[in-house]
Amino acid sequence: MRTLRPGRALQYAALAAVVLAADLPLLWILCTAVKPDQEIIAYPPTFLPHEITLDNFRTLFEISSFGTYLGNSLIVAACSTLLVVVLGTCAAYALVRFRIPGLRWVGELSLFAYLVPPILVLVPVSQLVARFGLANNLAALVVIYTATLLPFALWTLRSYFHGLTVELEDAAMVDGCTRFGAFVRVVLPQSVPGMVATAVFAFNAAWSEYLFASTLMADPEKLTLSPGLSLLMDQTSVYSWGVLMAAALIVVAPVLVLFVFVQKFLVGGIGQGAVK
Amino acid sequence: MKTVNATPRRGLSDRTLGTLMLLPALALLLVFAVHPFLASVFDSFFHVDFLTREHTFLGLDNYRRLWDDPATRGAFGRSVLWVAGNVVVQAVAGVALALLLNAGLKGQTLARGLVLFPYVVPAVVAAMVFRFAFNDTSGMAGYVLRTLGLSDSLVNPFADPATVLAALVAVNCWKYVPFIVIVVLARLQTLPGELREAAALDGAGRFGVFRHVTLPWIAPALVVAMLMRTIWTAYDVDLPYLLSGGGPMDTSTTVPLEIRKLAFADQDLGAASALAVCVAILLVAGARLYLRAYRASEDATG
Repeated sequence: MRTLRPGRALQYAALAAVVLAADLPLLWILCTAVKPDQEIIAYPPTFLPHEITLDNFRTLFEISSFGTYLGNSLIVAACSTLLVVVLGTCAAYALVRFRIPGLRWVGELSLFAYLVPPILVLVPVSQLVARFGLANNLAALVVIYTATLLPFALWTLRSYFHGLTVELEDAAMVDGCTRFGAFVRVVLPQSVPGMVATAVFAFNAAWSEYLFASTLMADPEKLTLSPGLSLLMDQTSVYSWGVLMAAALIVVAPVLVLFVFVQKFLVGGIGQGAVK
Repeated sequence: MKTVNATPRRGLSDRTLGTLMLLPALALLLVFAVHPFLASVFDSFFHVDFLTREHTFLGLDNYRRLWDDPATRGAFGRSVLWVAGNVVVQAVAGVALALLLNAGLKGQTLARGLVLFPYVVPAVVAAMVFRFAFNDTSGMAGYVLRTLGLSDSLVNPFADPATVLAALVAVNCWKYVPFIVIVVLARLQTLPGELREAAALDGAGRFGVFRHVTLPWIAPALVVAMLMRTIWTAYDVDLPYLLSGGGPMDTSTTVPLEIRKLAFADQDLGAASALAVCVAILLVAGARLYLRAYRASEDATG
């Protein structure tokens, strides 16, 4: 076997250290979530659990409204993801393929909107929501998330459509398809990887959002995960760290799974275009 | 731009269809980005009653009041430290890490995935695990630091005025270094091998190759990534608010937290809008500097 050069060995050591630094906190969540309480408060602390239990998860759902937060977040994230992908795909296609006066201007507007920070629009948006009587209504979050995530979706999907050839669309239209028919039957099937990537990003952002959710949803029944968890965290005297880490695990697990999934999907998606 | 030939066909005209496809997105952008942006600028010149929304014109009074307020000045100082600390650490660590993940080590693909995980972790989860790890009774991090003799303090770093800002920067970097890594790695994939070989043949050492070939190549992408991180970090509320709530005694209240406090705790919507506008102006100025650096780096790579 080849011996490792000292420089190479150092690189491996650095790589191991970096992976540990990135992932130990996540492992720490998992380990604590399945530990019994007496082991969590023991000093010196243990890392790996000596005894595995699901009590923390049971307690979480029994004594807190975590189930409600989870349901609200699922509804809000799913609806806004769907809207972002549908509206974003249509708009991005129009921006790339049509020559209508003012289109350039819309493209620049979306770049501007991408850089407008949430804290700047927080006050006017909350007034708007109140005026429409949508305070404490999950629909308000869906609409706001859709609007704030659209610029990113437009950005990603536009560059995706730029990479697709127009020949197949032309052929479909020569064969009697309407323009919209060609869009649905020819363009959309080729765009799945771009749409999936956009959807994963949008879902993650909506699932994690804190600022708007914590400002606009005052009713405890309407809280989503981020403000809900923040509320639980400030009541650590009521909830043990084990219960909180169980909640953290449930919140972080789906986004990590989606991330792993989309990494593979994107690699698989490249080269699956209709024209080789 | 490619457009489809105007062959006569069934269905809506391109113009009608395009407008219909674009309209919902355009409406949302106008209502939730353009309108609130303009409303913020407008409100900054008024006293706005929190309940009745009644506007009383004040001219530049909100701005003058903020200028004289030590709380604003303190918040600006902390924001500068917060943004500079984050962007510098993330750029340096991000580039170093991207090079390491591109060095052809065994297990590189797996390591890339593992290192990028923190980027998708929700802020509230990051806040929870770091508050737990550093809590003063059963915290693992404090125990490890004490065992290694690196710290003899029992105090949680998020509750100590001397360390809170540095601790916030550290957690934020944990979450956002991967963003720089993603951008730089993508750019490194396109670095032509001949460029490096030519430099190596010319007798450049490893550092020479980095300095004269790799760094100029990744510079444009890095500058854009740093611009985005600067803007988003300057406006970030989530991690600072969830980790320390701006405390202890406002020692971690950055400008966005101050804006939120002005708007919802003090119910002073005019002042909150004025402060938001000030930051927007400063950031536009900052963005121009980055764009100049971007053009310079683009020219250098040709």
